[in-house]
Amino acid sequence: MDLQSLILSLSRFWGDHGCIVQQPYDLEVGAGTMHPETFLRVLGPEPYRVAYVQPSRRPADARFGENPFRLGKHLQMQVILKPSPDDVQDLYIQSLAALGIDPSAHDIRFEEDNWESPTLGAWGVGWQVLLDGMEISQFTYFQQAGGIDLKPISAELTYGLERIAMFLQRKESVYDIAWGGDLAYGKIRHQDEVELSRYAFEVADVEMLRRHFADWEQESARCLDLDPPLVVPALEAALKMSHLFNLMDARGAVAVTERVALIGRVRRLAIRCAKAYIEQRERLGFPLGGARKNGNGGGRPPAGAKGAAR
Amino acid sequence: MSGAEFLLELRCEEIPANALPGIREQLSQLFASELADNGFGAPAVTSLSTARRVVVHVAGLPETQADREEEVFGPPVRAAYTSDGSPTPAAIGFAKGQGVSVDALRVAKGPKGEVVAATRQLKGRPTPEVLGEIAARAVQALRFPKAMRWGQGGHSFVRPLHGIVALFGADRLDQVVPLSLFGVDSGSATVGHRVASPGELEINGTKGLSGYVGLLADAGVVIDPAERRRRLEAGAAALAAEVGCTVRPDPGLVAELAELVECPGIVRGDIAERFLALPQEVLVTTLRHHQKCLVLERDAAVAPFFLAVCDRPDDPQGLIRRGNEWVAGARLADAEFFFDHDRKAPLAARREALERVVFHQKLGSFAVKAEKVAALAVELAATRGVKADAAALASACALAKADLVTAMVGEFPELQGIVGGIYARLDGEPEAVWQAVYDQYTPAGLEGALPRGAVGAVLGVADRLDTLAALFGAGEVPSGSKDPFALRRAALAVVRICAEAPLPADLGAAARAAAVVRQGAGDAAEATGAAVAEFLQERVRHYLTAVAGISPEVAEAVIAARWGVIADDVARARALEAVRGEEAFAPLAEAFKRVRNMVAKGGAGRADAKLLTERAERDLLGAVEKVEKDVTKAANRGEHLAGLRALATLAAPLNAFFTDVMVLCDDEKLRAARLALLARVERLFLRLADVSRLSAR
Repeated sequence: MDLQSLILSLSRFWGDHGCIVQQPYDLEVGAGTMHPETFLRVLGPEPYRVAYVQPSRRPADARFGENPFRLGKHLQMQVILKPSPDDVQDLYIQSLAALGIDPSAHDIRFEEDNWESPTLGAWGVGWQVLLDGMEISQFTYFQQAGGIDLKPISAELTYGLERIAMFLQRKESVYDIAWGGDLAYGKIRHQDEVELSRYAFEVADVEMLRRHFADWEQESARCLDLDPPLVVPALEAALKMSHLFNLMDARGAVAVTERVALIGRVRRLAIRCAKAYIEQRERLGFPLGGARKNGNGGGRPPAGAKGAAR
Repeated sequence: MSGAEFLLELRCEEIPANALPGIREQLSQLFASELADNGFGAPAVTSLSTARRVVVHVAGLPETQADREEEVFGPPVRAAYTSDGSPTPAAIGFAKGQGVSVDALRVAKGPKGEVVAATRQLKGRPTPEVLGEIAARAVQALRFPKAMRWGQGGHSFVRPLHGIVALFGADRLDQVVPLSLFGVDSGSATVGHRVASPGELEINGTKGLSGYVGLLADAGVVIDPAERRRRLEAGAAALAAEVGCTVRPDPGLVAELAELVECPGIVRGDIAERFLALPQEVLVTTLRHHQKCLVLERDAAVAPFFLAVCDRPDDPQGLIRRGNEWVAGARLADAEFFFDHDRKAPLAARREALERVVFHQKLGSFAVKAEKVAALAVELAATRGVKADAAALASACALAKADLVTAMVGEFPELQGIVGGIYARLDGEPEAVWQAVYDQYTPAGLEGALPRGAVGAVLGVADRLDTLAALFGAGEVPSGSKDPFALRRAALAVVRICAEAPLPADLGAAARAAAVVRQGAGDAAEATGAAVAEFLQERVRHYLTAVAGISPEVAEAVIAARWGVIADDVARARALEAVRGEEAFAPLAEAFKRVRNMVAKGGAGRADAKLLTERAERDLLGAVEKVEKDVTKAANRGEHLAGLRALATLAAPLNAFFTDVMVLCDDEKLRAARLALLARVERLFLRLADVSRLSAR
């Protein structure tokens, strides 16, 4: 199965299971978790189901296109099910069947792997999912985001798309996987990796990054200081800070002592955004439901039962 | 087994392997204590589990709980009776509430003084009813390394709970015990293995635990972790034998793998020959830590195969083997990439980069640490009896931390030291150097082998002493359960190396030297050195009692006299342990205790032996002069046993001295001379042990 069929199949599957099929966030983010469709939507009482692909930037993982397994930018398929349904593991396994993986012929295991993001003040409990020994997904029950205890709890499923494609296609290098038809991933993406690596490790202007980090910090705080606060612009500014930090880090410009402090600056804003978001949703009367006073505590996903979404 | 039985199965999403042994243990204990508290005595409790279910079985239960008495505390006596002794409404109300007459109330000692108490007769209830309550309390009392919430977020458990089977019965488990936990009601059906037998599995009517175990086995689930482990071990041995190999022993990993599955299967995969060129340690770590694979060996070398565990008995299309081979190959190719990358420059070329790696916020980089360790190592190596080649030691210190900036250690932090050692070897460093770098982190506390040579021993001790002095100096002192830098383990490793390598350096002096290297001579270094020395002394005490098998009072007697050269401390302790039971030794503790009390009371006196004229004091003086020579001779030969036996000969003259001689006499000069004699005795004893600590009182 080529990469784009993988994406289409997973999108179709989760769309059929009540997810809104969203688009990637149009900012550089380190993971699909940072997309407001995850970071904000998991907050508060409103039920939600969403799926999207998120190109994820990890400048320090870039390898000049030389390492067959490591990328500075890779694709994640992110699924959020809020609240987490009782049959979430079964649904996940069915989604693998949609990729042509027959569970009765393979070994599928869930091994403990908990998740924490100091930048987002978030953590969760869950597993890595192993298919015949290969880690193909992260499976997390979010417990806290933006420093806030979550209720209800969301299940987050993250598929590492290149990894899964490599595995399904039995390729030795990520650059050899077929993206669509016979066209190889490397033909499309290799030069980006070379250039993004060179930029992250050798070229990025550290002083400029540092300056913008402080600029966006101020801008985020300014949006939050407004009455009412501008939540999404404030979060976007914080996400920019997070990416600027990652670039500084890749460039070797973050001392170990400084690291905690810089992450803390982003986290403080993420926490303020989370709090402001919940207040905003409350003011709006929790339009997606779920609030107890509306008598809608059952928390059904917005699109209703399985397969009903359009 | 006579009597009725109870079976509880909690079905969850995959429970972490590291939580399961604790859950089984807690459930056994919680059930045992609840059953005892509820009048069931001590029936046999068994806890079993897989990754997806936890089971408790109780055998030998009665149909009905035994009748019991229970003492219930009521209001304070003051409030229960009026001054003329008649009961107040409070007492009457309490008695009524407990179903007893007011006359049956007694006075008892409650937690807050005297209260009235009633003995309540408790009629035994049907056992299943009580079991339902016991089970609910036990499950809710479980503690986990990490609990979680799910769904609506109202419940907290190790993983989401999906099903409860709770059955009771005499011949067959045929009676559902009503029970509700986290919104799940108990029933009589479970499910089998996720792939092999996903449908509902009815347990009702099963004959006992063995019937249940059999039903599950038919549904692809091996419920007993010990049985899963046996099967994995047998399966691994058989697959290894097929290719003429043996399994590299790895009991910890096998135990973990057994927790990870419901149905233990195992497949053998091939490793491409080219990866065998990687250092064996890298090969093993990649397969073991990152892929949880068992490694096969042939002729003591890693063979081109691995074993991977899967949660099913078979691999019908060979997909599992091929998948695992692909992943192992990818992991090893990754390691190969790091290895080739690292090998482009010699290890020594990486030292510069250590300036950018912070050791601790207040204490600078690892480049600084490397300098301090080297300075301290030179001092340690100068100790008499230490045979570490100076040039090799200097090289080892210079290279020791360089692997922290290699890609390999970045990827496999657990290989720090080992990677440095391997790269140093490949760079052509002498054996003494690369082995010292390789061994610098072993032993970890009491576990692991010692460094292979004297250079490694000195480096290992210098590195850890520097860490201790640096962090103590920066105020990072372990307290209670907080020891984030694992300093206790580091100190214990220092003690062990000194004792067993052995390294004849005086640890008290070395601790002070380490503080001076970090802080420069002065009050600060003096205080840090003393604190580190005291910390080390505590580990010496632990080492003597926990490892050398010395009794606490003997350890105390040895350390109180003097400590620091650990091998000597251990030898003195062993000797003292051996002689303390001897008849001649028995009176010595009391006699020496009197010596110490007297010296402490009287202060130091001027020694003027000419003034000592009484027979008992002349005799003691003569005996002391002789024993001093004997002890010195014995010490030079390292014969502490002989030294201690020589000390024992002083018991008689000391007792005669205390009987016949008035030490604290009025003649000041004479008193001083007698005290000086006793101080001499004290010094003589303290060369070996403060035997007063063995005194019965």
